[in-house]
Amino acid sequence: MAVETPSEARAAVLAVARAELRRRHRALLLVALVMGLAGGIVLGAVGLAERTVSAYPRLVDAVRLDDVRASVPSDQPRFAEAVPTLPGVAGSRHADLWVAQVEGGPALRFLGIGAGELAPADIATPVIVEGRAVDPAAADEVVVSEQIAADSGFAVGAELRLTLLTLEDVSHFDVGFTPHGPSATVRVVGIARMPSWGNALPHTLAGPAFAARYADTASARSYFLRLENPAGTAAFTAAHSRAEQAAAATEPSIVARYVPGSLAFPRLDVDPAVRTAEQALLVGLSLFALVVGLGGLQVVGQGLLRLGAEGRSAQRVEAVLGMTRGQRVAARTLAALPAALVAGVLGSAIASAAGVLEPLGSQARFEPAPGFRPLWGLAVGGGVALAALFLLMTAGATLLAARPRGIVAGSAPPSLPRTVLRTWARRWPAVLLGSRLAVHGRTARRGLPAMASILAAAAAVAGIVAAVTVGASLTRLVETPQRYAAGADLHLVDAREPDVAALVADPRVTALATTSSATLRTSDGRELGATAVDDRKGEPPLELASGRAPASSGEVAVGPRLADELGLGIGDVLAVRGPGGEQVPLTVTGTAVLPTGSSAALGEQLLLTADAMDLVQRSEPIRDAYIYTAPGTADAVYGELGQNLEIFPREVPESVRNLTDLVRLPELLALVLTLVAGTGLVHVLLTSARRHAREMAVFSVLGATPAQVRATLAVLAGSTVVPALVVGVPLGLGVARVLWHRIATTVGVAGDPAVPVGVIAAVAGVVLVGALLVAVVPGRRAARTSPALALAAG
Amino acid sequence: MSIDQSARAALAVRGVRKTYEAGSAAVRALRGVDLTVSDGEFVALMGPSGCGKSTLLHLLAGLDRPDEGTIAVAGTRIEDLGAQRLARLRRRHVGLVFQFFHLIEHMSALENVALAALVAGARPAEATTRARDLLDTLGLLDKSGELPGALSGGQRQRVAIARALANRPTLLLADEPTGALDSDGAAEVLDLFQRLHRAGQTILMVTHDREVADGAQRRVRMRDGRMLADDEPSLVHEIPASLRAGT
Ligand SMILES: Nc1ncnc2c1ncn2[C@@H]1O[C@H](COP(=O)(O)OP(=O)(O)OP(=O)(O)O)[C@@H](O)[C@H]1O
Ligand SMILES: [Mg+2]
Repeated sequence: MAVETPSEARAAVLAVARAELRRRHRALLLVALVMGLAGGIVLGAVGLAERTVSAYPRLVDAVRLDDVRASVPSDQPRFAEAVPTLPGVAGSRHADLWVAQVEGGPALRFLGIGAGELAPADIATPVIVEGRAVDPAAADEVVVSEQIAADSGFAVGAELRLTLLTLEDVSHFDVGFTPHGPSATVRVVGIARMPSWGNALPHTLAGPAFAARYADTASARSYFLRLENPAGTAAFTAAHSRAEQAAAATEPSIVARYVPGSLAFPRLDVDPAVRTAEQALLVGLSLFALVVGLGGLQVVGQGLLRLGAEGRSAQRVEAVLGMTRGQRVAARTLAALPAALVAGVLGSAIASAAGVLEPLGSQARFEPAPGFRPLWGLAVGGGVALAALFLLMTAGATLLAARPRGIVAGSAPPSLPRTVLRTWARRWPAVLLGSRLAVHGRTARRGLPAMASILAAAAAVAGIVAAVTVGASLTRLVETPQRYAAGADLHLVDAREPDVAALVADPRVTALATTSSATLRTSDGRELGATAVDDRKGEPPLELASGRAPASSGEVAVGPRLADELGLGIGDVLAVRGPGGEQVPLTVTGTAVLPTGSSAALGEQLLLTADAMDLVQRSEPIRDAYIYTAPGTADAVYGELGQNLEIFPREVPESVRNLTDLVRLPELLALVLTLVAGTGLVHVLLTSARRHAREMAVFSVLGATPAQVRATLAVLAGSTVVPALVVGVPLGLGVARVLWHRIATTVGVAGDPAVPVGVIAAVAGVVLVGALLVAVVPGRRAARTSPALALAAG
Repeated sequence: MSIDQSARAALAVRGVRKTYEAGSAAVRALRGVDLTVSDGEFVALMGPSGCGKSTLLHLLAGLDRPDEGTIAVAGTRIEDLGAQRLARLRRRHVGLVFQFFHLIEHMSALENVALAALVAGARPAEATTRARDLLDTLGLLDKSGELPGALSGGQRQRVAIARALANRPTLLLADEPTGALDSDGAAEVLDLFQRLHRAGQTILMVTHDREVADGAQRRVRMRDGRMLADDEPSLVHEIPASLRAGT
């Protein structure tokens, strides 16, 4: 069949395509399945990354998050009425707030309840993730936030017995009281999800019927506002603050001293820990996708190259018969079409199926639409792209096979291996040959340079080391409350001196520190929380991240997160304004993590001496006590004190809790990396005998014994993994150090990583010993193959 | 042929048979080959494609084992040796040259040659010296640092020959050493073989090329796995003697 006219050419292409399909459909299908699997996993990971990273913004949209959230004490009704009419406000919804004492719990507890208008529903309406919304007509129904549901065990159907506080009760918060308001029994009907809770949006929400029934005991009113220009918060803040000052003059509030009005911007104030988690997850998923993608490409590429090489003689015949290179490539690409379809469909299917995966880690708590959420565009587009890539790679492999036999050109190999090997390695020819092949060989006849295997292995080792190190650091943080300044067994809110004195005298208390916390203003007007610590008994530990604690009234230790934010280091000076407006310079002596008390953010506080506190505090300090008890006595002390005092067992700050959900992630990533990179490495090592069959045969011809051939392949394996370890381990540790410092600082704790020396040593050992063991298989195979055969084939 | 004569010969092959199982069909590649190559002889082995020349060479180099018959290389019977002993025999007694050179592409010319000496147990310095001397002799000293890819076909084949000679083998086996070369390259290689022959090297060279074969001292022919009569049987016993006298 000499090919001349176009129709003959078409017929020839079709005939060759049919023949190729008949001969190679199994092999093509196998490669296509690998492609579909790897591609599907990559697409799934991309989809999951999108779902994870978009969870928070989607929840913001789903709940129609308010731009401004303000609360006003209920003894300032005129100020309250003015808030929705302030300039720039485009829409508003309001609710009233109650404080209630929870009856029948293990310790004294107060609960904020919000209830009021359900309309307009396009401002700040939480997503119900379990149960249902409150019936507007029912005064005894509430929905609770997921957080409080988890912390206090309020499930759907739970009943809460409450006694509401009157305004009078609220005004006696500091001296103690029994609530005088009405009793109410409410039932939890739903669990709600919201990007941000707290202050003006209590964790417990009731409906209009509740609001109407208990209207006269409400302690504050909340407004959820939509601004005309969501970014124009400065104008609003100024107007609000003018109105607040005016109200302070015309209707002074007593309630405000205990339940102060609040102003927040939920759309702008995103907890940095959320961003950190988002980024950590994105990096983790990208790495995962990259590893799977590269692993898949390697296998598919090698498979297609092998198929191409097998078809080389057929191509020569076709060329002699007059088929152009383009026609030969077209025929083979055509033959790969069904397999490409399989790859595309499988990839699409896996990518769609990945829609069942919820956002990863902490971000799952922001998913507004839990359940199946496939990204059809990604699945279909990705499937098409996979099929196209498969065809392209087939065409490429065919083209490569059509080229005349390649010969490695170039000058002498670089001198590094030479000088290193000169003295001792040449003594043992297996070392010379094995190391040379590892560094200069190729992964396939026209495949990647073997150096790529070494680099890939180094990257994988670095990734694994970084992952286990970050994982170990995360685990250490989560398991060591002292690192987030929660080493105390119990936390007493509003610690009054008689109670503290009694605790100090209690033999079960081994150590006790009281803290006084207040706010201060920096000279550029920023409001910061400051705390002074007084060790009343024993040696309650202070969590120092670096440097030392302040020793005089001119010194300060800064929370790690704040230090990072303000760019403060040891020796720098933080200028603070005293209550009279006078400048107080404070020299930074170190970074310290302080207990978060009831509201502070972790790592954002200043640690001052008591003298310095007196100089700079703007309001009456709040006193808390942190109690360390003898082992096994915490529950008893808690049980006794809880009857009369607001006391809490150890609390995990929000930002640390976010990380708790991530603890498994680095380990998972390390595992996936190990699996994919390990499979790739094992594949490279197992096929090393076939790849180097010619060299091994030549080596035999020169008189190498089977043992020397085996040794050469062992050296080849060693020369691949040893440089990978030498480069990968320090690189991984460096990456982990940077990464963990970033994470820890955002969370607000000390940034020193926990290096799992044992695990890393084990990884290195397993990689090295494993590679040498794996090399035994090709070594035996090579020693068994007849060199004559290999030379004839090569 | 007496046992004494076989013992003195560089190579003595008696009744060698080799059958390959290719799928269901058995290919009888060698059907009783007899061949003696005396010390210092330069023999050209000719024959049509598929007659078993390469198969025979592989058996002689101990890369494969005959089904029947005996092979003695430098007086040592090799057909029953284990892999280890065969490897040792190759180091000391056999140098192999191929049509497609089979150099290690990632090693310089010098290293390719030195590797062979190293395998045979030479110390690195000694191996390097020997490799350099050989390349010098073969006119390739200026190319010793080059990778094979940077050399011409003829140069590559000369490096391969240097490698085969690195351990001063009793027997140099060459399988179509000029098959991949142009006429200049072929002439270079043949010239080299003749020089080696004059220096006393025993050579058995497979070739399809009449002209190349004419450059050898003796020509033997194979067909269908058997030896045909020598072209110049009368010379067989004379030349080695004269050669020995000459060296
Ligand atoms: N490993 C093997 N397996 C099966 N058959 C083989 C093998 N090696 C050689 N043969 C067959 O044995 C026969 C002799 O092959 P051999 O390579 O020795 O021939 P040759 O004389 O060297 O031919 P050429 O001049 O083409 O190189 C051929 O029919 C060949 O197909
Ligand atoms: Mg042959």
